[in-house]
Amino acid sequence: MKLHRIKALLVKYFYISINRVDRLFDVVYWPILDVLLWGFASAFIEQVSDFNLLSMALGGVILWIFVWRSSQDIAVFVLEDFWSRNLYHLFSSPVKLSEHIVSIIIWGLVRAIVSFIFLSLISILLYQFNILTISPLFIAAAVALLLLFGWTMGIFITSFILRFGQRIQVLAWSVVWIIQPFSCIFYPLSALPPWAAAIAKVLPTTHVFEGLRSILFGTGQGNLLYAFGITIVLLVGVSFLLAQSFKAAKRKGMLARGGD
Amino acid sequence: MRDIVVSKLRKTFKSKGKEVVAVDNLSFYVTRGEIFGLLGANGAGKSTTINMLAGLVLQDSGTIKLLGKDPKKDWEFVKNRMNVSTAYFPLTDVLTIRQNLRVYAKLYNVKNAEKKIDELLEQFELTKLADKKVVTLSSGERTRTALCKGLINDPQLLFLDECTVGLDPDIAEKTRRIIKDYQKKTGCTILFTSHYMHEVEELCDRIAFMDEGKLLTIATAAQLKKQVKKHQVELTLEDGSDELKELLQEEGLTVLGGRDNMLVFEIDAKSDDVNTIVQRLVKLGLSLKDIHIRKPTLDDIFIHFARRKK
Repeated sequence: MKLHRIKALLVKYFYISINRVDRLFDVVYWPILDVLLWGFASAFIEQVSDFNLLSMALGGVILWIFVWRSSQDIAVFVLEDFWSRNLYHLFSSPVKLSEHIVSIIIWGLVRAIVSFIFLSLISILLYQFNILTISPLFIAAAVALLLLFGWTMGIFITSFILRFGQRIQVLAWSVVWIIQPFSCIFYPLSALPPWAAAIAKVLPTTHVFEGLRSILFGTGQGNLLYAFGITIVLLVGVSFLLAQSFKAAKRKGMLARGGD
Repeated sequence: MRDIVVSKLRKTFKSKGKEVVAVDNLSFYVTRGEIFGLLGANGAGKSTTINMLAGLVLQDSGTIKLLGKDPKKDWEFVKNRMNVSTAYFPLTDVLTIRQNLRVYAKLYNVKNAEKKIDELLEQFELTKLADKKVVTLSSGERTRTALCKGLINDPQLLFLDECTVGLDPDIAEKTRRIIKDYQKKTGCTILFTSHYMHEVEELCDRIAFMDEGKLLTIATAAQLKKQVKKHQVELTLEDGSDELKELLQEEGLTVLGGRDNMLVFEIDAKSDDVNTIVQRLVKLGLSLKDIHIRKPTLDDIFIHFARRKK
């Protein structure tokens, strides 16, 4: 990997972001809507019961942003190169696939941090909820784990896009939301029916949000070590899948056709 | 020194469950400093060949050597010294011309990038459009932008795939001059495809004709023209084209067409048929108004090869 090529791609994403309002917009728009929705709903539930949903819901929404941004950004930036038929120029240049993915990961991380800062400030201003008052060590571990899992998902989706082209682009937006109900962000693992709990237990995200509940209420059953372990295994697996898909894309001539 | 060596290259694609051969047993070489034309009808396999050379498509079998190296092993060495330009793939359309060129200058680690970008913009008459997004450009402007990108790293090896499509004649002529000058100045090797035969004839030292993925021939433009054995003659009389038609038929010559008192027919390139016809016309008392012998052009060669099988 060469640093100057990663820098060049970061410059490209910067230009895309400043030239396209929608790419700036999605860093704050949807996350803010989520915070408003869950913040108001939690405030109402607290009025009619004694249950402190606010910290769990807002903590969940703010942390989930790392999975969302990191997974979706990888897939959408790759798709953008498909849409603009830019893979031809990109991969006839010295750019390696790994440099391409690393640059997207870095840019996605920047966008996730911007979203995180926005949401944290709004939570403090509107609901007097400061996520950083929760154990900083736990938050750091949770963010790292959720980012790793998000990248795993993003690489997984990208592998499929490279293999099957733009016809499966809907995955870029949908996969992360398929995982969300099983990640126990807004409810405990114990609230799920057995079949859903079985799926949830496998997901590393569940263990992060169970860990959050454990800190907030002392009731969670998260295992962060397991979560890190399974995420690393998945990340290695999808990286291998991505390399194979890239080869398949070259065999099919997809890079030279613009992914059609 | 051979900068491109292609040996027994084969590529197939699957289309609707059937195997389609795009490139079949293709072998050729291009020496350093040569401008080599790759010609053929649509679907002949030219672009697939360039895409394999550029590392965008994996071949089924066969070997490629670029700049004396195996591009799979010495990928970094080769890719930093080559570039590709095509009219069919625009640069990132939400970026301006200058932003795109900056990105590629950084990718190729170009020194004095801004100076280089300004030079290229001026050469291709894009300075005024530098801050316009690619999406807003005309096809000719996009083509010129792609050419700027193709020259951004001063490549030793340049693949130009239909790089003048959509350019008006004035800009196309300037573009050819820039390519020629660049080649002279740097001694780089260029693989060139185009559907404009005059362009190929003007630029290319040698030309390869491809059909259905196979190589038909490699030669200079002059050698290729010699392969067409027939010349076309356009003969106009003051009066009496019926007699002329009869006369041509008697001589066993093929009439290709005509109108009023003018007929177009084919003669063998080495024959004395024109002389014979003119002498016989004089004997018949028919007066000749105009005669024009058209020697084959590369267009004729192209048509000759394209129709040969049919």
